[in-house]
Amino acid sequence: MLIPRRVKHRKQHHPGRSGAAKGGTQVSFGEFGIQALESAYVTNRQIESARIAMTRHIKRGGKVWINIYPDRPLTKKPAETRMGSGKGSPEWWIANVKPGRVMFELAGVDEVTAREAMRLAIHKLPMKCRFVTRQGGDV
Amino acid sequence: MSEVRITADVRTEFGKGGARRTRRAGKVPAVLYGHGLDPRHISLPAREFALAIRGGANTLLTVDFDGGSELALPKSVQRDPVRGNIEHVDLILVRRGERVTVDIPITITGEPVPDTLVNQDVVVLTVEAEATAIPDGVEVSIQGRRVGQAILARDVRLPAGVTLVTDPEALVIGFMAAPTAEQVEAELAEAEAEAGIEHEATDAELDAASEQSDGEAAGTAGTGDSESDAEQGARSDES
Repeated sequence: MLIPRRVKHRKQHHPGRSGAAKGGTQVSFGEFGIQALESAYVTNRQIESARIAMTRHIKRGGKVWINIYPDRPLTKKPAETRMGSGKGSPEWWIANVKPGRVMFELAGVDEVTAREAMRLAIHKLPMKCRFVTRQGGDV
Repeated sequence: MSEVRITADVRTEFGKGGARRTRRAGKVPAVLYGHGLDPRHISLPAREFALAIRGGANTLLTVDFDGGSELALPKSVQRDPVRGNIEHVDLILVRRGERVTVDIPITITGEPVPDTLVNQDVVVLTVEAEATAIPDGVEVSIQGRRVGQAILARDVRLPAGVTLVTDPEALVIGFMAAPTAEQVEAELAEAEAEAGIEHEATDAELDAASEQSDGEAAGTAGTGDSESDAEQGARSDES
């Protein structure tokens, strides 16, 4: 599972969720992609689960790219704990995804297989997404 | 590449307010520059422009505005990341016969030998061509290619009059061995174990399990009936 090896600050503020993606909005490496239509925190478990669902469907045919990285920690206080006494302990690693971001890419399979593989992967993700294809020679 | 004639208006208001008013009027704010001239701010009809560049990103445009016309190529098109609407266009002036540097897409044709993974490293080639004769793209055949082979930029056949700008030694397509089914299964099993993913039983497994449970239930129901019969007998004896 994706997890940072070393971080400067163990606990961070919650990342902002407003706005749209500044970059990574086009399919750059593969032929097909999954594009986020809403902002969401995507955990490393969700990323791994989506990757596994895609790889299971395409079997040994294609190649998968993951364009997001869960580098932001989220903390949680234990259950039935009184408020105060400092910030909780890191519980999840998340990628802060904004609308428009192409999160996964796929190549080496036909479009029908890619659509089905990505449909299965989209079900593992916490936001509305859509299937996108590469536009040849975009400017 | 096709040539499209498009009528533009000169823009007189600028900034986000003016740009938004232009977009609301069904137009796209654009800027036209090049050849050392001052940039000119124009607005293009959104629908016509979108249709023009649908045929290819290097569509040559003849822009009619302010009583004159100019030849231009789209240099940069800004789109809304979600809706895909064109928000702004940079047009660069060109002249007939002038050579321009553009990116043209690579299209793969054919199939490699079985058990070969195709890894396309470069999706567009930067080439120099005459502005009025820019190719739509280049085709690269991978028919019968084997694991370990590679297609470099210099191996791509370009149309006459087109020269390569991309590094000739740049890898365009590599051919790798596809992992075996066992390797894929082992990798996925390991990943699933790490992520704590459990598989749901297949239909066949569910059928087999339900048949087994039915058989067990029938056995236990039989014993239950005999017990209840015995209880009833005992009650009747008491009465």
